[in-house]
Amino acid sequence: MRALLARAAAWLRNLPAAAAAGLVALIVVAAGTAIILQSEASYRAQKSEEAQVQADILASSIVAAIDFGDAAAAQEAADAMRVNRQLRGVAIYDRSGTRIAGYRRDGLGQRPTLAEARSVTSPGIVAEAPVMKDRKRIGTVRLAVDRQPLDTRFGRYAVIALLVLMAAFVVGVLGVAQAMLRRANRELELRATALGEANSELTHQIAERAKAEDQLRQAQKMQALGQLTGGIAHDFNNLLTVIQGSADMLTRPGLKAERRQRFAEAIVQAAARAAALTGQLLAFARRQPLQPEVIDVNAMIAGMIDLLDRTLGERFTIRTDLSHEACAVEADRAQLASAVLNIAVNARDAMPDGGSLAIATERVHHEEGDQIAICVTDTGAGMDEETQTRALEPFFTTKGAGKGTGLGLSQVYGFATQSGGDLKIVSTPGEGTTVTILLPCSDAPLPAPETGPGEARAAQIGAVLLVEDNEEVGEFAEAMLRELGHSVTWARSAAEALQAVAERPFDVVLSDVVMPMMSGIELADQLRLLQPDLPLVLTTGYSDEIARSGTGGRPVLLKPYRIETLAAVLDEALMGAKAEAE
Amino acid sequence: MAPRRLLPALLGALATATMAAAAPAFAQASEQAVKAAFVPKFARYVGWPPAAQPGAGQPYYLCVIGRDPFGALIDRAAASEVIDGHPVAVRRFASIDFEAVAGCHLAFIAGANDAATAQMVEGLKRQAVLTITDARNGHARGMIHFAVVAGRVRFSIDQGTAAGRGITISSRLLALAVEVKP
Ligand SMILES: Nc1ncnc2c1ncn2[C@@H]1O[C@H](COP(=O)(O)OP(=O)(O)OP(=O)(O)O)[C@@H](O)[C@H]1O
Ligand SMILES: [Mg+2]
Repeated sequence: MRALLARAAAWLRNLPAAAAAGLVALIVVAAGTAIILQSEASYRAQKSEEAQVQADILASSIVAAIDFGDAAAAQEAADAMRVNRQLRGVAIYDRSGTRIAGYRRDGLGQRPTLAEARSVTSPGIVAEAPVMKDRKRIGTVRLAVDRQPLDTRFGRYAVIALLVLMAAFVVGVLGVAQAMLRRANRELELRATALGEANSELTHQIAERAKAEDQLRQAQKMQALGQLTGGIAHDFNNLLTVIQGSADMLTRPGLKAERRQRFAEAIVQAAARAAALTGQLLAFARRQPLQPEVIDVNAMIAGMIDLLDRTLGERFTIRTDLSHEACAVEADRAQLASAVLNIAVNARDAMPDGGSLAIATERVHHEEGDQIAICVTDTGAGMDEETQTRALEPFFTTKGAGKGTGLGLSQVYGFATQSGGDLKIVSTPGEGTTVTILLPCSDAPLPAPETGPGEARAAQIGAVLLVEDNEEVGEFAEAMLRELGHSVTWARSAAEALQAVAERPFDVVLSDVVMPMMSGIELADQLRLLQPDLPLVLTTGYSDEIARSGTGGRPVLLKPYRIETLAAVLDEALMGAKAEAE
Repeated sequence: MAPRRLLPALLGALATATMAAAAPAFAQASEQAVKAAFVPKFARYVGWPPAAQPGAGQPYYLCVIGRDPFGALIDRAAASEVIDGHPVAVRRFASIDFEAVAGCHLAFIAGANDAATAQMVEGLKRQAVLTITDARNGHARGMIHFAVVAGRVRFSIDQGTAAGRGITISSRLLALAVEVKP
């Protein structure tokens, strides 16, 4: 039985919920009908039992009446039954089956004999009881009971039916709800799966996109780098053309002194720009060692006017407004000049039809210390808000590919902040731009004013050991040193230099840093052991080693250098050595 | 109780009247035959005090005292009655002056005249005997008193007197009475 039930339950579970609910509802209705039928049957049974009891009571109460043949008494006993409103009728028969008393509630006549009465079926519930006297039948009582009035019964069954129907309905509704819930669940599951798939797809796409963006960024960097190197090569070529052409002209015989001077100056200018260019590149690479020196800003700017004039061309006028209050700053001279040049070039680019460029200096008073502001103002196109906010970004440019690298201002900004200052841009589209470099004032005393070319004479003269592996540079340096009045010994490697030092006394060593076999720094370290008092100056275009480990306190002459710089550096070294010796 | 009995009695009479044609078998034969049939039946519906009850297998004694109006009719009627295993035996006495009268359970009393009947009823007063009289024989009344009403033999019952003798009368019999004197 239990196994059967379990199997039925399993079967039900496998059925669709709605069908199961329908089935259960049917079962409920069937059960309700069965209950009603059962109730009807038991009602009938109960009624007939009641009828039988009444018949028995009546039969025993009319024994005497029949015994005495007292039809009136029998009738009286029958009439007493009228109290029971469910009785359709009562009939009393004597021993022979002849009706002697009785009544019908509907007032109609009754069958005269028991046999006749029995031959017709009564719509009610019929009960018969014998009237017994001393175990002998002396008569018969027959009565018919109305079933409960149909409407009463119907009412009772209606309540049951209603309950059953409601239960079935509830079951049905529950089943339908369950089915809907199941379907909703299934849909939800499907959606969750779809969502999961979509999510993983999205994650995948995001990853793809990140990869693509990385690749794009890399490509942009490479492009920028290409632009940078391309642009520099282009600039360099231009400058080299100028230098080569001027040098060619200088080698011509019979040139007037005034023209010679012009060509020489052109070479100097071009070389200066080229130096600025490489400086820019190095600053970008953050590998250029900063060479802070005390600079008179006003003087430096005044000295750059000529260069700027040439750089910008004839359609531009340059005005300066240099403050008397202007102070000195401690910064890398080449980079400061490069910064100003950069800003000036931007101004030129902003004024394609020409215009005016104003360079002003101003002392800004601060609590933490005064600053000097170098303001470069143009009357150019100006910048819109977006350009202004992004101008300092590396590689941001509005200029076409190959024209701008977007490194200029970022480099200037890097220089300014590295020097403890700042960079400010104020611009109105259509009216112009003011770019301001802010640098902290320095209290250090200014070095002696620079001497012009040709005038350069070494204050101290001595025996110089030049260590340089590059033939051209070596030749150039040797010539310059001799020009300054020094006696020069040129060693082409560190080993050669060590040998020379062992053979002869020198007053100072000027050594290149990057050389095969042994670097200038290693040489310096060895010489310090051999001759601690021998001063040494390092010179380099740029050196990873200097950037990494420094120079150990030794002075560095940055290539390319000019003759007066070379003179000043060597003078200092010689004087230092002399002071120590005294 | 009399008024309450009146209506059913009337109805009964009516019913009987309408029934008379349909059930001639049930119509009363002669008045005396009916009375003779009734008298032994009374024993079934009457209870006597324990001392007066017949022993096992002993009959109920039905005594006809004084005149006998029934003759063989009552013998036949008594012979057909057996009450709880006790037959009904008929004894006839000329008067109550016989010792055996003391053993009577039922006594139909009919004196030579009304006074004689009354005297005999009175004489049995101290015994547990169901006394039966007939209106035809005068006004003297026993515990059960026959009368013909609407052409039918009926009887009235003096329940109080019976109770005084320790005799109980079944309600079924009381139900048949025209009149019950409590
Ligand atoms: N003076 C100015 N007037 C108007 N716009 C300027 C000025 N200076 C800079 N900008 C804007 O700022 C951008 C960034 O300048 P930045 O010097 O960093 O790079 P660039 O000039 O575009 O390239 P590069 O300096 O390498 O030639 C310029 O492209 C230009 O749009
Ligand atoms: Mg620029």
